[in-house]
Amino acid sequence: MTASRKYAIVGLGVVAGPQPQRTRRQVAAEAVRRAIADAGLKREDIDGAIELVRGAGAGERAAYADPFPRILALPINFFFTVERGGALAALGIAAAMSFLDRRIASHIALCGVVDDWTRAQENKAKGFRGMVHIEKEGAWGRPLGDLRAFSHHSWMASRHMAEYGTTSRQLGAIAVAARAWACKNPEAKMYGRPMTIEDHQNSPLVVEPYRLLDLCLISDGAVAFIMTTAERARDLKKPPVYVLGQGFGEIIRELWWEKKNYTSMAVKTAKEQAFREAGVELKDVKCAELYDCFTGEVLFQLEDYGWCGKGEGGPFVESGAIGPGGSIPVNTGGGLLSCYHLADLTGFAEAVRQLRGEAGERQIPGCDIAMSTGHGGELLAPGMCSIHSCTLLGR
Amino acid sequence: MAKSDNVRVVSDPYTKPLPNIDLDNQPFWDGLREHKFLLFRCKICGAHYWPKAYCRFHDNEPFMGNLEWTEASGKGKIFAFNIHHWPLHPGFKDDVPYVYALIELDEGPLISSNVVDIDPREVRIGMPVEILYEDHPNEGFTLPKFRPARE
Repeated sequence: MTASRKYAIVGLGVVAGPQPQRTRRQVAAEAVRRAIADAGLKREDIDGAIELVRGAGAGERAAYADPFPRILALPINFFFTVERGGALAALGIAAAMSFLDRRIASHIALCGVVDDWTRAQENKAKGFRGMVHIEKEGAWGRPLGDLRAFSHHSWMASRHMAEYGTTSRQLGAIAVAARAWACKNPEAKMYGRPMTIEDHQNSPLVVEPYRLLDLCLISDGAVAFIMTTAERARDLKKPPVYVLGQGFGEIIRELWWEKKNYTSMAVKTAKEQAFREAGVELKDVKCAELYDCFTGEVLFQLEDYGWCGKGEGGPFVESGAIGPGGSIPVNTGGGLLSCYHLADLTGFAEAVRQLRGEAGERQIPGCDIAMSTGHGGELLAPGMCSIHSCTLLGR
Repeated sequence: MAKSDNVRVVSDPYTKPLPNIDLDNQPFWDGLREHKFLLFRCKICGAHYWPKAYCRFHDNEPFMGNLEWTEASGKGKIFAFNIHHWPLHPGFKDDVPYVYALIELDEGPLISSNVVDIDPREVRIGMPVEILYEDHPNEGFTLPKFRPARE
């Protein structure tokens, strides 16, 4: 009764880089158009559409006003929004599989789009910095200088440092590895801009213990993909990328009560479910696209999944394990830190390319199983980034 | 020690975001204005919650019927903290560098707030802190801030 290998990603469309002259909906439509073409399909083949929105759990509203299916005249039977922090690709895949399984749709277009870079430029002109446009009115802590992601994630780093002796230099090794990968990815924002650990250590403190180079990018862009059944996928233009397994976890279950959510993510159930469904083991994963909104998140996941022991993430990343040539290649396209920030769609798109053998200079030889994780969905003060998603993909 | 010792009145024009005061947390904010630090407590097992929650260990019939806002110590220890060097919001440009910490209250829950009256460089995880009520009389609310505990 497993859903493993029954559904596939058959088309991918990416629009990366600043898009100040286009609206979000136009960027989304362009990414979907590219994904349909990449699959060798026609617009007429798409009979379902899902918009993927990086909303917080507290409930930002979707931009329904002019969705890409109308712009592209897709003959769809349904269109809706999946919205949840940095796990939107994973949740979108889970939803699409249900519609395919029940034969409500045959080819579904999914797309996530952001205009954070353009909005941040506007914010800057008003005296703000960063992504204040996504800060909701009324969340706890705003009168106290709580800047949500920056504030909460830096607590996690401070707690990990206090419990396990992790250093800023070790966190920096994660940023350096991401940059080394980005320098092999022409689509990455930081392509052609190599970085050393000294660059990291010399970058300004933003929200201590985090320095500027511990923080992810702010981006414009869109990632779209097409999903269909394994039977249909076999006849299409590109090699199918199968969904092997998925799993989810939530910090609001017990980690928050145990106060362990500042050094761990809700990996336990996500890992168990995804690997059980896929019938594979951690050692089978050839590249791991781990949600890296900040450097610390990578460290936590390396430990929580078991690539190293709890608290041993610092020495592990310092050894070069996650960079090019390392024992477990992590965020091989540069990740949110050095490629672009489209939540878990960034790592998802990279996983698809690795499995197709389209990753150019950064291609992992024999990449047959890749993992993509999601994280986020700030729900509630103080500082709960609750959701964790694990998606295993294979060729 | 006079009660007013842990109160600070700020009358400067308020340029920061306003607090979120809604039906769920109105008693908490009302308490702060009266210089009382309230937590949501289960009458059966004494478990404390913040923010408001259904008791994890007991049925609370009728809904949340066994829980009540009760005055707490206002004391705790720093669980995690950061130092904000960049004011992402212009209302904080005169405040940087400021400490924003997770405080593990003596009753159990974590709450986040600023730790003031200390050089940010001196702040450490595990440091005992206590409530400091920051009154904003012009706006009609009190913010719960923390400072190093005075024995």
